[in-house]
Parts: sequence; structure tokens; C-alpha cells
Amino acid sequence: MSATTSCLTANRSATLFSTLMADEAKSIARGLQKRDPDLLDHLIELYQYRLFRYLVYITGSKERAEDFFQETWIRVLERGHQYDGKSKFEAWLFAIARHLVIDWQRSKKAQSLDSLTDPEQEHPLQFANEKEPSPLQQVLSQESEENVQASMSQIPAIYREVLVLRFQEELQIEEMAGVLSVPISTVKSRLYRGLDALRGRLQGGAAS
Amino acid sequence: MSDKIHDRAEQLIAQERVEGISPADHDWLSAHLQDCAQCANHARHTEHALRGLRTMAIPMPTGLASRTQFRVQLRLQEMREREPKRRALWLACVVSWAFGIVSAPYVWRLFQWFGERTGVPKLVWEVGFGLWWTIPALFFVIVVFMEKMRQSSESELTRKSK
Repeated sequence: MSATTSCLTANRSATLFSTLMADEAKSIARGLQKRDPDLLDHLIELYQYRLFRYLVYITGSKERAEDFFQETWIRVLERGHQYDGKSKFEAWLFAIARHLVIDWQRSKKAQSLDSLTDPEQEHPLQFANEKEPSPLQQVLSQESEENVQASMSQIPAIYREVLVLRFQEELQIEEMAGVLSVPISTVKSRLYRGLDALRGRLQGGAAS
Repeated sequence: MSDKIHDRAEQLIAQERVEGISPADHDWLSAHLQDCAQCANHARHTEHALRGLRTMAIPMPTGLASRTQFRVQLRLQEMREREPKRRALWLACVVSWAFGIVSAPYVWRLFQWFGERTGVPKLVWEVGFGLWWTIPALFFVIVVFMEKMRQSSESELTRKSK
């Protein structure tokens, strides 16, 4: 009896939570439609860390992440009317940021960049000098000497990205597929490869 | 124990974290991890990697949010200043088309009369009538296109200036 009650309560809580989330997304969509300046200020405050962290991981550079951070919010202002509130706001935000980075990578095609292309399909671009620490390694090592951080900077950006979205941002696989514009099966295979690569690097690091 | 069993265990360890596993698989995995040190070690490494990933922090640049808020507000102001111009352009376009439709029979007669009076070939004044209709639309398309070009070059300049 008590198990049934707790199960019902859990279900109700989950429904209530998803309703609240949906309401929040709808109100964000309405605010963006009206280009509400207070809402934009609030969203920048609220999502600053998550967006910046995501950008650092996909660009591999703190300075570049700062530029894209600003560009992303300008794009949110300009394209806010396209957000319909049916998906999580952060998923839409990350998708905008990702498109900006990809557009920039396409226009630059710099060899010193860690690319977001699939290493299985295309040759991933490598850091210019692998003996020197990459910009991402520098950013990460400033904060801590943890092995995980070093390992993250060594795996391809495309895997780093899915690991961040899944395990730091805690997005669902379906939401990730929306952000990355790829099928769910691709998201899963990248996650498995990413996890494998991260664990492999960690074990390698621990062994050495 | 065969390699297949270890492979299955490793697969389930990853699957549990990525997309979840069924209770039956969970029970099988737990039992296997109690017996197999190698797979238990694999599970520990995976958990360690994910724990490290979840707790990893990146320093946030000072003032980035406030700088961004300032830029966004500036851009918003700029967009609001441009809005009445764009609205006026749309209004002019709508009025022009409405007027064009209403006045079409009269303008046709005017062109016809002018053609007969001056002896201009029929095809010429008919083309003239067509232009009378298309020029405002062409003008509108050119204005919108130029505005888009200016916007994209502005954002490119902003990026380059950094």
C-alpha cells in the first residue's frame, strides 16, 4: 500500500515538475518573442556558467568561448521568436552556440583547431603542436590538476561535447539529438565512444 | 569465465550510465561484479571518470555576463530604433499594392490612351504597364536585401574587431 502511494506521489511529482518546466519554457518563449530586456538579462545570468563551460569544451579555448558566449546571446535576441517553448531552453541555447562555432570553423578551417567533425567520417583536425599544452588543457589545469580534466582535453571535441551535454548538463539523449542535429543512434554511439575514450585516457594516465 | 561474459559486463557498465539498463540486467551485472575483480575495476574506473566529469569546474571570466548584457541591450536598442523604419516600409508596400490593384483598370486605360496618342507599339505600352506594377516590388526586395547585407557585414566586422 505504502509502495503504491509512494509510487503515485513520485509520478505526480514528476508530472508536476515537467509541467513546471514546460510552463517555464513557454514563458521564456513569450518573453523572447517580445524581446523582453529583463528576461534576457536574467537568462544571461542564469545560464552563463553552463553556456560558457559548453563553449570552452567545444572550442577548446577560453578566449574563443568568451567571443562565442556574447555572439550566442546576440543571436538569442535576434532569433528569439524562433524558440517555441516546446523543448528545453538550454537545448535550444546550446544548439545556437554550436551552430555559431561550426559556421566559424567552416569559415576559418584553421589547422590549430579541435574540430567538431566526426573522426569516423572525417579526419579530425589536431592541435598545432601536440607537445605544448592545448588552450583547453591550460584552462582546465588552471583550476585543478585532476586527471579527468587532462583526459578530457585529450579526447576529440566531438566526444567531449556529448559527454558534457549528457553528464554535466544532464540532457536527455533525445534532447542531445536535437542540439547536435543527428539521429539518436549517433548520439548513443558517440557517448559510448566518448566514455570509452575518457576511461581509456584515465587508465593510461594512471598507468604512466 | 569466458570473454563474452566480460564483454557483456563492460557493455552493461557503459549502457547503465548512458541510457539505463533493465532490472534483470542490473541484477546480473551486480552479481557479476561481485565475482569478477577485472570488471569491478572497469566499473570503478568508469564511475571515477564520470564523477570527475560531473565535479569538474571551469573558471568563469570576470564580468563576462555583465559585458554580454550590455552588448545585448545595445543591440536591442538598435533593433528597436530600426523597427519603425521597417514597419513604414511594409506599410508603404502594402498601400502601394492595394492602390495598384484598385487603380489597375484606370492605369491600363491611361497607358492605352497614351500609346494611341503617341503611336507607340502595343507591346511597348503593355511592358510599361507591367513595369508600373513590378518596380515597387523590385524596389522593396532591393531594400530588404541591402539591409540583410548590411547586417551580416556589421556582425562580421564586430567579430573581426575582436
